[in-house]
Amino acid sequence: MTGLPFAGDPLVHACLLGLGILAALLFYGYEKRRRGLTDPRLWPIAGFAIAFGAIGSRVLTWDVSRQVSLAEWWGNGDRSILAGLVGAWLGVHLGKRLTGYRGSTGDLLAPAVALALVLGRVGCLLTELPGTPTGQAWGISLTPAQAALLGGLPGVGLHPSFAYEIAFHAAAFALMWRYRDRLPRPGDLLICYVSAYALFRFGVEFVRGNEVLWLGMSRPQWFLLVILPLLSWRMQRVFGKPRRPRLEGRVA
Amino acid sequence: MSRNNRFTGNGEDPAEPWLGPLGVGTLVGAVVLYGLYVGGPIIFSAVQTTADPTQPVRYLSGPVVLIPIAGYLAIAILLAVRPPTAKWGAGLLIGLGIFTLLGGGICVGYLAQIRA
Repeated sequence: MTGLPFAGDPLVHACLLGLGILAALLFYGYEKRRRGLTDPRLWPIAGFAIAFGAIGSRVLTWDVSRQVSLAEWWGNGDRSILAGLVGAWLGVHLGKRLTGYRGSTGDLLAPAVALALVLGRVGCLLTELPGTPTGQAWGISLTPAQAALLGGLPGVGLHPSFAYEIAFHAAAFALMWRYRDRLPRPGDLLICYVSAYALFRFGVEFVRGNEVLWLGMSRPQWFLLVILPLLSWRMQRVFGKPRRPRLEGRVA
Repeated sequence: MSRNNRFTGNGEDPAEPWLGPLGVGTLVGAVVLYGLYVGGPIIFSAVQTTADPTQPVRYLSGPVVLIPIAGYLAIAILLAVRPPTAKWGAGLLIGLGIFTLLGGGICVGYLAQIRA
Protein backbone atom coordinates (compact mmCIF):
# COMPACT_ATOMS: atom_id res chain seq x y z
CA MET A 1 0.00 0.00 0.00
CA THR A 2 1.14 3.54 -0.70
CA GLY A 3 0.51 6.75 1.18
CA LEU A 4 -0.98 10.09 0.19
CA PRO A 5 1.93 12.53 -0.19
CA PHE A 6 0.10 15.87 -0.23
CA ALA A 7 -3.16 15.21 1.63
CA GLY A 8 -5.39 18.27 1.58
CA ASP A 9 -2.73 20.53 0.04
CA PRO A 10 -4.68 23.00 -2.13
CA LEU A 11 -1.53 24.50 -3.63
CA VAL A 12 -0.43 21.17 -5.14
CA HIS A 13 -3.97 20.59 -6.42
CA ALA A 14 -4.17 24.07 -7.94
CA CYS A 15 -0.74 23.80 -9.58
CA LEU A 16 -1.60 20.54 -11.30
CA LEU A 17 -4.98 21.86 -12.37
CA GLY A 18 -3.23 24.93 -13.78
CA LEU A 19 -0.79 22.70 -15.67
CA GLY A 20 -3.76 20.79 -17.03
CA ILE A 21 -5.39 23.98 -18.33
CA LEU A 22 -2.11 25.11 -19.87
CA ALA A 23 -1.58 21.74 -21.58
CA ALA A 24 -5.14 21.82 -22.89
CA LEU A 25 -4.70 25.32 -24.33
CA LEU A 26 -1.39 24.37 -25.97
CA PHE A 27 -2.91 21.26 -27.47
CA TYR A 28 -5.95 23.22 -28.67
CA GLY A 29 -3.65 25.70 -30.44
CA TYR A 30 -1.56 22.90 -31.92
CA GLU A 31 -4.58 20.97 -33.15
CA LYS A 32 -6.20 24.09 -34.56
CA ARG A 33 -3.06 24.76 -36.56
CA ARG A 34 -2.69 21.13 -37.65
CA ARG A 35 -6.25 21.12 -38.99
CA GLY A 36 -5.61 24.40 -40.78
CA LEU A 37 -8.39 26.15 -38.87
CA THR A 38 -7.67 29.86 -39.00
CA ASP A 39 -11.01 31.29 -37.94
CA PRO A 40 -10.27 33.93 -35.27
CA ARG A 41 -13.47 33.03 -33.40
CA LEU A 42 -12.00 29.73 -32.23
CA TRP A 43 -9.98 31.33 -29.41
CA PRO A 44 -12.95 33.23 -27.97
CA ILE A 45 -14.90 29.97 -28.08
CA ALA A 46 -12.11 28.27 -26.11
CA GLY A 47 -12.30 31.17 -23.64
CA PHE A 48 -16.04 30.69 -23.26
CA ALA A 49 -15.46 26.97 -22.63
CA ILE A 50 -12.91 27.59 -19.87
CA ALA A 51 -14.74 30.47 -18.18
CA PHE A 52 -18.15 28.82 -18.18
CA GLY A 53 -16.65 25.45 -17.33
CA ALA A 54 -15.08 26.99 -14.26
CA ILE A 55 -18.25 28.87 -13.30
CA GLY A 56 -20.36 25.77 -13.96
CA SER A 57 -18.13 23.61 -11.77
CA ARG A 58 -19.06 25.86 -8.86
CA VAL A 59 -22.55 27.14 -9.56
CA LEU A 60 -24.16 24.01 -11.01
CA THR A 61 -23.40 22.03 -7.87
CA TRP A 62 -25.26 24.58 -5.71
CA ASP A 63 -27.37 22.57 -3.29
CA VAL A 64 -30.35 24.71 -2.31
CA SER A 65 -31.46 22.14 0.27
CA ARG A 66 -28.42 22.99 2.41
CA GLN A 67 -29.76 26.53 2.79
CA VAL A 68 -26.50 28.12 1.74
CA SER A 69 -26.51 31.30 -0.32
CA LEU A 70 -24.99 31.25 -3.78
CA ALA A 71 -22.29 33.68 -2.63
CA GLU A 72 -21.26 31.34 0.18
CA TRP A 73 -21.45 28.35 -2.14
CA TRP A 74 -19.23 30.19 -4.62
CA GLY A 75 -16.55 30.52 -1.98
CA ASN A 76 -16.84 27.28 -0.04
CA GLY A 77 -19.19 24.93 -1.90
CA ASP A 78 -18.46 21.69 -3.72
CA ARG A 79 -16.79 21.57 -7.13
CA SER A 80 -17.54 19.01 -9.77
CA ILE A 81 -15.92 18.03 -13.04
CA LEU A 82 -19.26 16.86 -14.41
CA ALA A 83 -20.80 20.25 -13.64
CA GLY A 84 -17.74 21.87 -15.19
CA LEU A 85 -18.21 19.88 -18.40
CA VAL A 86 -21.86 20.93 -18.56
CA GLY A 87 -20.84 24.55 -17.98
CA ALA A 88 -18.17 24.32 -20.70
CA TRP A 89 -20.70 22.84 -23.12
CA LEU A 90 -23.12 25.69 -22.39
CA GLY A 91 -20.25 28.18 -22.73
CA VAL A 92 -19.22 26.83 -26.13
CA HIS A 93 -22.81 27.11 -27.38
CA LEU A 94 -23.11 30.64 -26.02
CA GLY A 95 -19.78 31.57 -27.60
CA LYS A 96 -20.81 30.15 -30.95
CA ARG A 97 -24.14 31.91 -30.77
CA LEU A 98 -22.60 35.28 -29.93
CA THR A 99 -19.78 35.08 -32.47
CA GLY A 100 -21.89 33.50 -35.20
CA TYR A 101 -19.59 30.49 -35.59
CA ARG A 102 -21.45 27.52 -37.07
CA GLY A 103 -18.76 24.86 -37.39
CA SER A 104 -18.23 22.00 -34.95
CA THR A 105 -15.55 22.47 -32.30
CA GLY A 106 -15.97 19.13 -30.53
CA ASP A 107 -13.08 17.43 -32.29
CA LEU A 108 -10.75 20.23 -31.25
CA LEU A 109 -11.94 20.34 -27.67
CA ALA A 110 -12.26 16.64 -26.78
CA PRO A 111 -8.55 15.66 -26.70
CA ALA A 112 -7.70 18.94 -24.97
CA VAL A 113 -10.25 18.21 -22.23
CA ALA A 114 -8.87 14.68 -21.78
CA LEU A 115 -5.35 16.07 -21.42
CA ALA A 116 -6.49 18.64 -18.86
CA LEU A 117 -8.27 15.93 -16.87
CA VAL A 118 -5.21 13.64 -16.85
CA LEU A 119 -3.15 16.34 -15.15
CA GLY A 120 -5.99 17.73 -13.05
CA ARG A 121 -6.78 14.29 -11.67
CA VAL A 122 -3.13 13.81 -10.70
CA GLY A 123 -3.74 16.79 -8.41
CA CYS A 124 -6.79 15.03 -6.98
CA LEU A 125 -4.86 11.76 -6.59
CA LEU A 126 -2.13 13.42 -4.56
CA THR A 127 -4.38 15.48 -2.30
CA GLU A 128 -7.93 14.15 -1.96
CA LEU A 129 -9.71 11.23 -0.29
CA PRO A 130 -8.92 8.41 -2.73
CA GLY A 131 -11.94 6.11 -2.53
CA THR A 132 -13.67 3.27 -0.70
CA PRO A 133 -11.75 0.46 1.07
CA THR A 134 -10.15 -2.24 -1.04
CA GLY A 135 -8.24 -5.38 -0.12
CA GLN A 136 -5.94 -4.99 -3.12
CA ALA A 137 -2.24 -4.26 -2.83
CA TRP A 138 -2.51 -1.02 -4.81
CA GLY A 139 -4.74 0.63 -2.21
CA ILE A 140 -3.78 3.99 -0.73
CA SER A 141 -3.42 4.11 3.03
CA LEU A 142 -4.02 7.26 5.09
CA THR A 143 -2.30 8.19 8.32
CA PRO A 144 -4.63 9.04 11.25
CA ALA A 145 -3.98 12.77 10.70
CA GLN A 146 -4.75 12.52 6.98
CA ALA A 147 -7.86 10.45 7.68
CA ALA A 148 -9.10 13.08 10.13
CA LEU A 149 -8.41 15.83 7.59
CA LEU A 150 -10.07 14.11 4.63
CA GLY A 151 -12.78 12.16 6.44
CA GLY A 152 -11.51 8.68 5.56
CA LEU A 153 -10.41 5.50 7.33
CA PRO A 154 -6.81 5.37 8.63
CA GLY A 155 -4.53 2.41 7.95
CA VAL A 156 -6.86 0.78 5.43
CA GLY A 157 -6.14 0.37 1.72
CA LEU A 158 -8.44 2.67 -0.26
CA HIS A 159 -9.25 2.46 -3.96
CA PRO A 160 -7.08 4.96 -5.89
CA SER A 161 -10.16 6.00 -7.85
CA PHE A 162 -8.42 9.06 -9.30
CA ALA A 163 -5.67 6.81 -10.69
CA TYR A 164 -8.36 4.78 -12.46
CA GLU A 165 -9.68 8.01 -13.90
CA ILE A 166 -6.20 9.16 -14.98
CA ALA A 167 -5.75 5.86 -16.80
CA PHE A 168 -9.11 6.32 -18.50
CA HIS A 169 -8.41 9.85 -19.71
CA ALA A 170 -4.86 8.94 -20.82
CA ALA A 171 -6.22 6.00 -22.83
CA ALA A 172 -9.00 8.20 -24.23
CA PHE A 173 -6.45 10.82 -25.25
CA ALA A 174 -4.29 8.18 -26.98
CA LEU A 175 -7.29 6.76 -28.83
CA MET A 176 -8.50 10.20 -29.86
CA TRP A 177 -5.00 11.04 -31.05
CA ARG A 178 -5.01 7.91 -33.21
CA TYR A 179 -8.54 8.09 -34.58
CA ARG A 180 -9.12 11.84 -34.62
CA ASP A 181 -9.34 12.02 -38.40
CA ARG A 182 -11.26 8.81 -38.97
CA LEU A 183 -14.74 9.45 -37.60
CA PRO A 184 -17.40 10.22 -40.17
CA ARG A 185 -18.75 13.55 -38.96
CA PRO A 186 -17.31 16.60 -37.23
CA GLY A 187 -18.02 16.54 -33.52
CA ASP A 188 -18.24 12.75 -33.28
CA LEU A 189 -14.99 12.58 -31.32
CA LEU A 190 -16.46 14.64 -28.48
CA ILE A 191 -19.65 12.58 -28.40
CA CYS A 192 -17.65 9.33 -28.18
CA TYR A 193 -15.36 10.71 -25.48
CA VAL A 194 -18.12 12.20 -23.33
CA SER A 195 -20.27 9.07 -23.64
CA ALA A 196 -17.38 6.81 -22.71
CA TYR A 197 -16.49 9.04 -19.77
CA ALA A 198 -20.09 9.11 -18.57
CA LEU A 199 -20.20 5.29 -18.55
CA PHE A 200 -16.80 4.99 -16.92
CA ARG A 201 -17.58 7.62 -14.31
CA PHE A 202 -20.85 5.92 -13.43
CA GLY A 203 -18.88 2.77 -12.66
CA VAL A 204 -15.98 4.40 -10.86
CA GLU A 205 -18.39 6.26 -8.57
CA PHE A 206 -19.03 2.94 -6.80
CA VAL A 207 -15.45 3.06 -5.47
CA ARG A 208 -15.08 6.87 -5.25
CA GLY A 209 -16.55 7.23 -1.81
CA ASN A 210 -18.84 10.16 -2.60
CA GLU A 211 -21.89 10.69 -0.43
CA VAL A 212 -24.71 8.30 -1.29
CA LEU A 213 -27.82 10.21 -2.28
CA TRP A 214 -30.43 7.49 -2.87
CA LEU A 215 -30.60 3.75 -3.62
CA GLY A 216 -26.90 3.31 -3.06
CA MET A 217 -25.95 5.82 -5.72
CA SER A 218 -24.20 9.16 -5.47
CA ARG A 219 -25.31 12.51 -6.85
CA PRO A 220 -23.03 12.21 -9.94
CA GLN A 221 -24.49 8.78 -10.68
CA TRP A 222 -28.06 10.11 -10.62
CA PHE A 223 -27.01 12.96 -12.88
CA LEU A 224 -25.36 10.47 -15.25
CA LEU A 225 -28.45 8.26 -15.25
CA VAL A 226 -30.37 11.22 -16.68
CA ILE A 227 -27.67 12.11 -19.22
CA LEU A 228 -26.74 8.60 -20.43
CA PRO A 229 -29.90 7.98 -22.51
CA LEU A 230 -29.28 11.23 -24.37
CA LEU A 231 -25.65 10.29 -24.95
CA SER A 232 -26.57 6.79 -26.16
CA TRP A 233 -28.98 8.39 -28.64
CA ARG A 234 -26.15 10.59 -29.91
CA MET A 235 -23.84 7.56 -30.09
CA GLN A 236 -26.38 5.77 -32.27
CA ARG A 237 -26.08 8.66 -34.69
CA VAL A 238 -22.30 8.24 -34.74
CA PHE A 239 -22.15 4.51 -35.32
CA GLY A 240 -25.66 3.69 -36.58
CA LYS A 241 -26.63 3.37 -40.21
CA PRO A 242 -27.90 6.46 -42.00
CA ARG A 243 -31.68 6.76 -41.67
CA ARG A 244 -32.35 7.45 -45.31
CA PRO A 245 -31.09 5.21 -48.12
CA ARG A 246 -28.66 6.81 -50.50
CA LEU A 247 -30.31 8.18 -53.58
CA GLU A 248 -27.32 8.19 -55.89
CA GLY A 249 -27.98 6.52 -59.19
CA ARG A 250 -31.75 6.45 -58.81
CA VAL A 251 -34.13 7.84 -61.36
CA ALA A 252 -36.58 10.38 -60.00
CA MET B 1 -19.47 28.02 -42.28
CA SER B 2 -20.75 31.23 -40.85
CA ARG B 3 -23.68 33.53 -41.27
CA ASN B 4 -21.87 36.32 -39.53
CA ASN B 5 -18.89 37.68 -41.37
CA ARG B 6 -17.85 40.30 -38.83
CA PHE B 7 -14.95 38.09 -37.89
CA THR B 8 -13.85 36.87 -41.25
CA GLY B 9 -11.96 39.92 -42.49
CA ASN B 10 -8.94 38.37 -44.12
CA GLY B 11 -10.00 35.10 -42.43
CA GLU B 12 -6.49 34.40 -41.24
CA ASP B 13 -5.06 33.75 -37.83
CA PRO B 14 -1.58 35.15 -38.36
CA ALA B 15 1.42 33.93 -36.42
CA GLU B 16 1.69 35.91 -33.22
CA PRO B 17 4.44 36.81 -30.82
CA TRP B 18 4.79 34.42 -27.92
CA LEU B 19 2.69 36.57 -25.61
CA GLY B 20 0.05 38.08 -27.86
CA PRO B 21 -3.28 39.58 -26.81
CA LEU B 22 -4.46 36.14 -25.73
CA GLY B 23 -1.61 35.64 -23.28
CA VAL B 24 -1.61 39.23 -22.05
CA GLY B 25 -5.41 39.13 -21.62
CA THR B 26 -5.13 35.93 -19.59
CA LEU B 27 -2.43 37.36 -17.34
CA VAL B 28 -4.14 40.73 -16.92
CA GLY B 29 -7.48 39.07 -16.19
CA ALA B 30 -6.12 36.67 -13.61
CA VAL B 31 -4.02 39.39 -11.94
CA VAL B 32 -6.96 41.83 -11.81
CA LEU B 33 -9.18 39.22 -10.19
CA TYR B 34 -6.49 38.21 -7.71
CA GLY B 35 -5.93 41.88 -6.91
CA LEU B 36 -9.62 42.37 -6.33
CA TYR B 37 -10.17 39.33 -4.14
CA VAL B 38 -6.79 38.97 -2.41
CA GLY B 39 -5.19 42.41 -2.42
CA GLY B 40 -8.50 44.24 -1.96
CA PRO B 41 -9.38 42.81 1.47
CA ILE B 42 -5.81 43.41 2.72
CA ILE B 43 -5.84 47.08 1.71
CA PHE B 44 -9.46 47.60 2.72
CA SER B 45 -9.00 46.09 6.17
CA ALA B 46 -5.85 48.16 6.77
CA VAL B 47 -7.68 51.36 5.84
CA GLN B 48 -10.79 50.48 7.83
CA THR B 49 -8.89 49.36 10.91
CA THR B 50 -6.97 52.63 10.90
CA ALA B 51 -10.20 54.65 10.61
CA ASP B 52 -12.28 52.73 13.16
CA PRO B 53 -10.76 49.63 14.79
CA THR B 54 -14.04 48.69 16.51
CA GLN B 55 -15.93 48.07 13.27
CA PRO B 56 -15.76 44.60 11.69
CA VAL B 57 -14.15 44.54 8.27
CA ARG B 58 -16.67 44.16 5.46
CA TYR B 59 -15.26 43.87 1.98
CA LEU B 60 -17.00 42.06 -0.84
CA SER B 61 -19.04 40.09 1.65
CA GLY B 62 -22.41 38.48 0.99
CA PRO B 63 -24.00 38.58 -2.47
CA VAL B 64 -21.82 41.59 -3.38
CA VAL B 65 -18.95 39.14 -3.85
CA LEU B 66 -20.45 38.06 -7.18
CA ILE B 67 -20.91 41.55 -8.65
CA PRO B 68 -17.26 42.11 -9.72
CA ILE B 69 -17.20 38.64 -11.30
CA ALA B 70 -20.41 39.37 -13.21
CA GLY B 71 -19.10 42.76 -14.36
CA TYR B 72 -15.77 41.27 -15.42
CA LEU B 73 -17.56 38.48 -17.29
CA ALA B 74 -19.78 40.96 -19.13
CA ILE B 75 -16.77 43.05 -20.22
CA ALA B 76 -14.85 39.93 -21.30
CA ILE B 77 -17.80 38.68 -23.36
CA LEU B 78 -18.25 42.07 -25.01
CA LEU B 79 -14.57 42.11 -25.98
CA ALA B 80 -14.62 38.48 -27.13
CA VAL B 81 -17.51 38.92 -29.56
CA ARG B 82 -16.06 42.06 -31.21
CA PRO B 83 -13.57 41.07 -33.92
CA PRO B 84 -10.88 43.68 -33.16
CA THR B 85 -10.77 42.74 -29.48
CA ALA B 86 -11.69 39.05 -29.75
CA LYS B 87 -8.36 37.71 -28.52
CA TRP B 88 -8.24 40.13 -25.61
CA GLY B 89 -11.71 38.98 -24.66
CA ALA B 90 -10.69 35.35 -25.06
CA GLY B 91 -7.71 35.98 -22.79
CA LEU B 92 -9.88 37.64 -20.16
CA LEU B 93 -12.30 34.71 -20.27
CA ILE B 94 -9.43 32.25 -19.82
CA GLY B 95 -8.12 34.41 -16.95
CA LEU B 96 -11.52 34.25 -15.28
CA GLY B 97 -11.56 30.48 -15.69
CA ILE B 98 -8.09 30.13 -14.20
CA PHE B 99 -8.96 32.40 -11.27
CA THR B 100 -12.23 30.59 -10.61
CA LEU B 101 -10.66 27.14 -10.76
CA LEU B 102 -7.37 27.83 -9.04
CA GLY B 103 -7.93 31.00 -7.05
CA GLY B 104 -9.02 29.53 -3.76
CA GLY B 105 -6.50 26.73 -3.88
CA ILE B 106 -3.53 28.98 -4.47
CA CYS B 107 -4.60 31.50 -1.82
CA VAL B 108 -5.38 28.91 0.85
CA GLY B 109 -2.23 26.96 0.08
CA TYR B 110 -0.10 30.06 0.22
CA LEU B 111 -1.63 31.25 3.49
CA ALA B 112 -1.27 27.77 5.01
CA GLN B 113 2.42 27.70 4.11
CA ILE B 114 2.97 31.16 5.57
CA ARG B 115 1.34 30.16 8.86
CA ALA B 116 3.08 26.77 9.05
